[in-house]
Amino acid sequence: MSFVPKTQPFSGKINAVTLGTGDKAVVIGGQNVLPFYTFDAPIEHAPKIGVEISDAANEWDVAGLRTFYEGCTTMADYAKRAESMEGADFLCLHFESADPNGANRSVEDCVADAKAVAEAVAMPIVIMGCKNIEKDGELFSKIAEALQGKNILVLSARAEDYKTVGASVALAYGQKVGAETADDINLAKQLNIMLKGLTVAPESIVMNIGTAAVGYGFEYVASTLDRVRAAALAQSDADLQMPIISPVSSDTWGVKESTASEEDEPTWGCREERGIDMEIATAAANLVGGADAVIMRHPAAVSTIKKFITELI
Amino acid sequence: MALKGLDIFKLSPKKNCKECGSPTCMAFCMKVAQGAASIDKCPYFSDEAKAVLNEQTAPPMKTITVGNDLKLGGETVLFRHEKTLVNKNLYAVCACTHMDDAAVDTKLADMQKVDYERIGERMYVEFVLCKHHDGDSAEKYVALVNKAAATGRALILECRDVEVAKAALAVCKEGKPILNGATPDNWEAMNAAAAEAGVTLGVWASNLSDLYDTVKNLEAAGNKNLVLDVTAATAKETLANAVLVRRTALKDGDRSFGYPSIVNVAKLAKGDPRLQTAYAAMFTEKYGSIIVMENMTYAEALPLYGLRQNIFTDPQKPMKVEAKIYPLNGADENSPCCLTVDFALTYFLVSGELERSNQPVNLLITDASGMSVLTAWAAGKFSSSSIKKFFDENDIENKIKSRTLIIPGKVAVMKGEIQEKLPGWNVVVGPMEAVQLPKYMKDKEYEAAAKAAAAENAAKVTTTAEVKELSFEELLETRVPKIEVVDMGVQYKGHNPEAKTFVTIGERIHCIAPTIRKAMDERDPEPILKRAAEQIAAGATYLDVNIGPAEKDGPERMMWAVKLLQENFNNVPLALDTANKKAIEAGIKVYNRTNGKPIVNSADAGSRISYIDLAAANDAICIALCSADGIAKDNEERMKHCHNMLERGMSLGMTSDDLWFDPLFLVVKGMQDKQMEVLEAIKLFADEGLKSTGGLSNNSNGAPKHVRPIMDATLVAMAMMQGLTSAIVNPNDLRLMETIKSCDIFKNHVLYSDSYLEL
Repeated sequence: MSFVPKTQPFSGKINAVTLGTGDKAVVIGGQNVLPFYTFDAPIEHAPKIGVEISDAANEWDVAGLRTFYEGCTTMADYAKRAESMEGADFLCLHFESADPNGANRSVEDCVADAKAVAEAVAMPIVIMGCKNIEKDGELFSKIAEALQGKNILVLSARAEDYKTVGASVALAYGQKVGAETADDINLAKQLNIMLKGLTVAPESIVMNIGTAAVGYGFEYVASTLDRVRAAALAQSDADLQMPIISPVSSDTWGVKESTASEEDEPTWGCREERGIDMEIATAAANLVGGADAVIMRHPAAVSTIKKFITELI
Repeated sequence: MALKGLDIFKLSPKKNCKECGSPTCMAFCMKVAQGAASIDKCPYFSDEAKAVLNEQTAPPMKTITVGNDLKLGGETVLFRHEKTLVNKNLYAVCACTHMDDAAVDTKLADMQKVDYERIGERMYVEFVLCKHHDGDSAEKYVALVNKAAATGRALILECRDVEVAKAALAVCKEGKPILNGATPDNWEAMNAAAAEAGVTLGVWASNLSDLYDTVKNLEAAGNKNLVLDVTAATAKETLANAVLVRRTALKDGDRSFGYPSIVNVAKLAKGDPRLQTAYAAMFTEKYGSIIVMENMTYAEALPLYGLRQNIFTDPQKPMKVEAKIYPLNGADENSPCCLTVDFALTYFLVSGELERSNQPVNLLITDASGMSVLTAWAAGKFSSSSIKKFFDENDIENKIKSRTLIIPGKVAVMKGEIQEKLPGWNVVVGPMEAVQLPKYMKDKEYEAAAKAAAAENAAKVTTTAEVKELSFEELLETRVPKIEVVDMGVQYKGHNPEAKTFVTIGERIHCIAPTIRKAMDERDPEPILKRAAEQIAAGATYLDVNIGPAEKDGPERMMWAVKLLQENFNNVPLALDTANKKAIEAGIKVYNRTNGKPIVNSADAGSRISYIDLAAANDAICIALCSADGIAKDNEERMKHCHNMLERGMSLGMTSDDLWFDPLFLVVKGMQDKQMEVLEAIKLFADEGLKSTGGLSNNSNGAPKHVRPIMDATLVAMAMMQGLTSAIVNPNDLRLMETIKSCDIFKNHVLYSDSYLEL
C-alpha cells in the first residue's frame, strides 16, 4: 500500500445529549470527528431529524403536507401522525401563533396543546416559540413545568432572556435548553458560558447557532458551523462542545423558491418539488457542516434526509 | 508551501551585486520568501535553482482549465473561513450509450432550460458527461458525443476503451473536454491518447491506494494535467475519498493528490433524484470540483446553485447585487421608489420586507461597493453624487414616472443634498430599520412627506440661479466664519517631525458622532474645541478631522475646521479626513506646518489611489490603505498594494517617509484568525523601512467597554514590537496611551525617567 490515509480523530468531543425518555429517547452529539467523517473514527450517534408541527399548520397549503395530515385538527392529531412519518426521530412543536403581533394565542391554550401532545406521543419533544421575547419567556416556563419528567428541549434561550429561560427550563424543571445566537461564534461561546454561569449543566445545553436557507446568506451559517466545530474538536473548547440543532423548515418554506406559484414562475416547474429540494439541500448542507439534528417539515424531505444519514453513517 | 528565506539563500549566487535593488543576496532572498520580490529580479539565479524553487513554491493543488476557460481546483484551504475558496464547483449532467436518441435529445434540451442569473452569476450546467458502456460501438459513442457537443457545453468523456475514446476525441478535442478514462490497467494507453489530443485526463481506481499509484505513474510519465474521479460504490466511501484526497493535498502537502475531483452523484443516488440533491449539496461543501447529476431541473438547480454561490463567496469581500431598478410586487413606472445600497444582505433584507408589504414599489439599488448604508455613507460611497450618477446611468428619470423617492432613515442627513441633485424628485426620509417597512408602505406614510417635499420644491424653483464656483481664496473670504480664539486651558506642546516616537492620531473629531456632525453643520466651535482639548491634554500628537462626505460645502467646512483647531491650539498638526478631495486641498491651503505636515486620510490601492497624487501635489503625508476592493486576502496582496502605492508616490516626488501604510486592523470578533497576519504585515513594512499606521481600535469593536482598552493596549504593544510607527486612536484611553509611552521607552525612543508617564 503506497498511500496510507492519515486519520484525524480529535481529543475534543461533542457532548452527548439525551432528549426524551424511554424507548424513543434519542442521543445527539458524542462524536470526536467532523460530520460523517467515519473514516477518521466511528460515529456512535447518527444525526437526528425532528418533524415540525405548527399551531398554524392548518395554513400549510402544500399538497403533500395536506394529504399527509389529512383529517388532523388538533396539535395532538398532527403530532400522532408526524410520529408515523418515515425518518422522524423527534417532534418539534412550533407555537408561532402565540406571537402578540399575530394571532396572540394564550399561553394556557399553548400549554394545553403541549400537554395533549405529550400524552399522545412517545417521541421526544422540542418546543419552538414565537420569537417574541416576553411571550416566549412565559410560554417556555409554563410548558417546561407542565411537561416535567419528559426531558424536552426548549428553543431557545437568547442573550436577551437566557437568565429567565435558563433558570426556569433547565434549573427549575430539569429540561434541556437551546442556546440561540445568530451566525456569531463569539456570541455562541459567550451564551454558553453565561448559561453555565447560571449552573446549567453543559449536558443540558444544545446550540442553535443561526439558520438560513441555502442561497440566502448560508455562507455565514456554513462558516460558523465550521468554526464552532474546529474550536470544539481541535481546540477542545468545552464552551463550544454542545451539540447543534438547526431548524431548517421555517426558513426554507418561506423563501421565494418555495413560495412562488407556478403562474408567477412558469419555468421553475412544480412548486412543491422546489420546496422539497430546498428543504433537502438546506438540511444536507447543515448536517455536513456540523448540525447534530435538523428540524424539517415535508415527509418526502424527511425520508430523503433519513436515507442520506443512514447511507453515510 | 512557505519557503524560508534561508532555504532560498542556499540556492542563491551569493554575489551581493545589488543589481536586484537589495543590498545583499540575503536581503533579497528574505524578500522573495515574503513574496515581496520576484526571483526573476536576480539575473544570476541558475535555471536549476529556479526550477527547484518553483517546484517547492508551487501551489498545493493544481488549477486545471478545461472547456471554454472553466477553471477547476487551485484551492489552498479546506474551509472557506481560513482564507477563501477559489474555484466554485461545476455541475454536469450525464448521458450514456444505453439511451436512445430521443431520450438523449430530451435530456439535453431539458438541461439547457436551466440557464438564469443570480446576483450577477450565470447559473447553468457547465458540462455534459458522455458515458460509454463497454462493448458499445465507437459510432454510437461518437454520435452521442456530437449531440452533447452541439449544446456548446464542455464535455467529459467517460470512456475506458482507448480506441473508442480516440474516435470521440477526434470530433471534440477542440472543445477541451476531459477524457475521464484512465484506470490502473489502461493508464499508459489512455495517457497517450490524452496527450495526443492535448486534453485533461481523468483518473479512477477502485481504492485510494491504487488511485495514488496511478497518479504517480502518470506524473512520472510527464502528465500533470489530471482530474481525479473519486466516485466509489457508496456515498460513504465517496465522501471519504473526496475528503482524504483534498486533505492529503492541502494539509499534508502531498501534491500527487493535488488535483480537482469528479464526484458522480447520479451513480450514488441510483435513480432517487431527491437523494441526489442531498448528495450534491454535500459535495458542493465537501470537495467535489465537478458534480455529475442525472438531470438538472429548476427544483434541483435553485437550491444547489444558491448554496454554491454562498459557499464560494469570498469571506473577505462583500457580496454585492447589481445596481439597477428592482420592481417589486408588480410595480410599474407609477410606483414609488425606495433607495438603498448594493450590499447583498441589505438587499435581501429590504427587498424581503418590501415584498411582505404587498405594495408595488420600485427598489433602486445603487452602487456602494457592497457596503452597508452607514458605512457606505461614511466612506463617501453612498452620496448624493453617487445617487445622481446612478439615476443618470440608468435613465431613471425616463424609466419611472413616480417622483417619490424614499431614502433610508439612517442617512436622513443626505435628504437636502439629494433633493438638490435631483430637483424633480420628492425626497422622503424612510424608516430607520427594514422591519418597519411593511407598515410604512402599507400605511403609505410616505405620501404626506412626498407632498410636503413637492411643495417645498415648488417654492424653491425660482431660486435656482446658476452658481459660480468660487476659488479657495474667495470661499475663505466669504464663507468661512472668523475664528475666535478661546482659552480651553490646554496648550499643544509641539511636535518634532523628526522624532522617532510613536505618533498618535486622535480620532474623536469624527462626523459619525452626532454632536460633531451637528457642530460641523452649524459651524459651532464649542463641541469641536472641547473634544480637541481633551485629546490634546491626553497627549495626542495629531488630531484627525473628519468632516463627513461633505459633498456640498466641503472646502469651506474643512478650511473652517483647520483654522479653528490650529489657531486655538498652537498649530496642532492635523489629519484631514473626508471623501471630498477639494475639501482636503482647501484645508491644506490654510494649514500651518510648524508642527508637521498635514496628513491626507486616506488613499487606497483602488478607487482612492488619486489621494496619493493629492498628497504629492500638496507636500502632505498620506495614509495608504493596503487594500483595493475590500480587505486584502493575504499579505502577498497587502504588499502588492503597498508597493503599488509606494511606486506611485515616489514617482510623483514623495519620499517614502511621507507614505504611512495602513495594514487595515481587523475586528477580533469575526476575524480572530487574521490578527497575526496583520501584525506580520506591519513587520514587512518595517523591514523595508516604511512607516505604518491604522485604526487600531477596530480590533475591539463590539467587545464590552471594560475589555476594549485592554485589547487595544495589548495590540498596540504587539504592533509596536513589529515596528508600527503610528496609530489612529482614542487618546483619552489612558491605558492605551500609557502602554504606548512605555513601549517608546523600551524601544529606546525616549530616555527613561521615573516620571515618564507624566511627560
